[in-house]
Amino acid sequence: MKRLWPRSLVGQLLLLVALMLLLAQAINSFLLYRGAQTQNLVEASTGAVARIAFGLERQASDRPARRAGSMRARRWGQLKYSAESAVTDDMQRLPELESRAGQAFANMGTGFSEIRASFNRDLDPAMAGHLIGANRGEWRKGPINRSMGGRLEPRAIRGYVIISARQADGQWVSIASTVRGRSPLMVRTLLLQTVMIYLLMLIPLFLLGRYVSRPLKSLTATALDFRPGETPALPEQGPPDTRDLIRAFNAMGARVSTMISEKDVMLGAIGHDLRTPLAALRVRVENVEDATERERMIAGIEDIDHMLDDILSLARLGRSQDQAEPVDIRSLIETVVDEFTDLGHIVRYQRGDKQRALVRETLVRRALRNLVGNATLYGKAADISVENSGDRLMIHIDDSGPGIPEATIESMFEPFLRGEASRNRATGGSGLGLTLARAIARDHGGDIILKNRAGGGLRATLVLPAG
Amino acid sequence: MTHKIHILLVDDEASLREPLADYLVKQGYKVQQASDASVARSLLNAYDFDIILLDIMMPGEDGLSFCRHVTDKTEIPVIFISARTEETERIIGLELGADDYVTKPFSPRELVARIKVVLRRAEKGAPRQVGTSEGGYRFSGWTLKCDKRSLVDADGDTISLSTGEYQMLLALVSRAGKVLNRDQLLDITQGREAHAFDRAVDNQISRLRRKIEADPKNPEIIKTVWGGGYVLAGEVLSL
Repeated sequence: MKRLWPRSLVGQLLLLVALMLLLAQAINSFLLYRGAQTQNLVEASTGAVARIAFGLERQASDRPARRAGSMRARRWGQLKYSAESAVTDDMQRLPELESRAGQAFANMGTGFSEIRASFNRDLDPAMAGHLIGANRGEWRKGPINRSMGGRLEPRAIRGYVIISARQADGQWVSIASTVRGRSPLMVRTLLLQTVMIYLLMLIPLFLLGRYVSRPLKSLTATALDFRPGETPALPEQGPPDTRDLIRAFNAMGARVSTMISEKDVMLGAIGHDLRTPLAALRVRVENVEDATERERMIAGIEDIDHMLDDILSLARLGRSQDQAEPVDIRSLIETVVDEFTDLGHIVRYQRGDKQRALVRETLVRRALRNLVGNATLYGKAADISVENSGDRLMIHIDDSGPGIPEATIESMFEPFLRGEASRNRATGGSGLGLTLARAIARDHGGDIILKNRAGGGLRATLVLPAG
Repeated sequence: MTHKIHILLVDDEASLREPLADYLVKQGYKVQQASDASVARSLLNAYDFDIILLDIMMPGEDGLSFCRHVTDKTEIPVIFISARTEETERIIGLELGADDYVTKPFSPRELVARIKVVLRRAEKGAPRQVGTSEGGYRFSGWTLKCDKRSLVDADGDTISLSTGEYQMLLALVSRAGKVLNRDQLLDITQGREAHAFDRAVDNQISRLRRKIEADPKNPEIIKTVWGGGYVLAGEVLSL
């Protein structure tokens, strides 16, 4: 059931309208059908009323001899005179017809003390010979169809109306009349009508829906892939509401881009402008006599420098002009590994088969450097391995350190937050390492995943798009 | 009295320029300070300098433009001092003919070490440029792109190289067929962007071999020459 319910706006709208149309058309058909039934009933009773009124008129004009047996009377049906009403008590009475008939008689100046009307599917045998018009089961040419090629139309008889009226002398005069069944023409008309309404309603609605939903679709796609400063403004199209939405979205995108570029410019300026006084400080430090003090100051300046470097890299990320290129990931890992082994760290990597990643080499080198740096810092030694899962390349960096409590793993990626608060001073680092590494990985469409290893230690995985 | 090395120090930031000048004087150099390029130009006409330390970002004429002027008109070596660390700018600076590049904040001792290397190289009359070809070199299925400082293999995949490895490979490739001993290699590769850790030439070579040789134990591209030295074998095509 859920699968049948369309997910798109247009689909839902169309389905809903189609269902409502179907319902409306069903009600319409029902009413039409009912109306046609009443119409037929009224037609039949009108004939009967006229026959009674006419018959009584003739009787009054003193031509009793012709009361029975005349041709016309036979075709029209003989009026039945009886002491009891032809409409017996077990018959279904039609009060509405009775009052209509009473009205009709009154209009013709004929008064009756009581009028009964009833509808029966079968003709009461007592009324045989007192029936106006066609006999039961007769087929005749419908006047409309005759003019349209004379095709025979079955005119089913639905039943019989009996009108019975009590005269002033207490005698009942009664006549029966056939009630026509529904015409197949009506069904056809209804079907045609339904199809026409569907075409007339649903096609424009479908076009309107597309007109509305297409700009919405492109808006969704643009919002999903939004890259500040790069995503061009969306053309304003569709109905006014949608245009307003697109205009608002474009304005918001422009504001976001401006804010981000302001942020980047500011960070860049901070990074740049801080470097000069830092350089001056670095030169002056050489004047410090105490060697230990001097080394500490130099280390402090270098810390600030690295932090500025990370901040600048983070600010510049995503606006790099470089294109991603297929890189032999083995060489990249080796370059990083060599940097750490040169510093006396233990980082192991066994060159395997060529693995290609589609990356910007300098950035990914930096991300990997940060991860390996963490591994050697907290875990003493690092083991690097590469895993290929088709379109993804995973570089695992395993350490043998204490790992990270599961609850705080995600927060490790927050800027300026380090694993162990107590070790902040001793270990240095900008606190941006993981933030920057993840930003770089995500900029490439990859990610960084931290996971405690079963045997102890942490596994950091750098996921990259395979080339 | 021995000849004192004469340095022209160009930087608009007095807070850095002055203590640096003091430091250099203490180290036995003679220093002239310029706060912008126009002052530097007039000083350049008035004195004979051995080396110029030049800031890139300056109000008015910037360091890059002044560097072009110096390398066009004189043989004086130039070391850039800049707060910018973007790789592209570094490359532009070196392409303009600067001999080295230090980024702020730098260790004054390292700066002095670099000054010495640059001067030694200038004294030997070594060409300012390491004879780099505009586009790069093609050798044994590899392409060394000088504009991007990258190495690309036969499949078109980039091979990551450390700065030291790149310098070493460039030195060997641009002098293909010539045997270079360890001292020569150190001399060629070290002055520019010397690293905090002077890696032994042999170490650098073995790392390069691991990355580019089919069998690093039996090298076909970078061959060892008996008597201490390395040579790049095979044909090299300048691009």
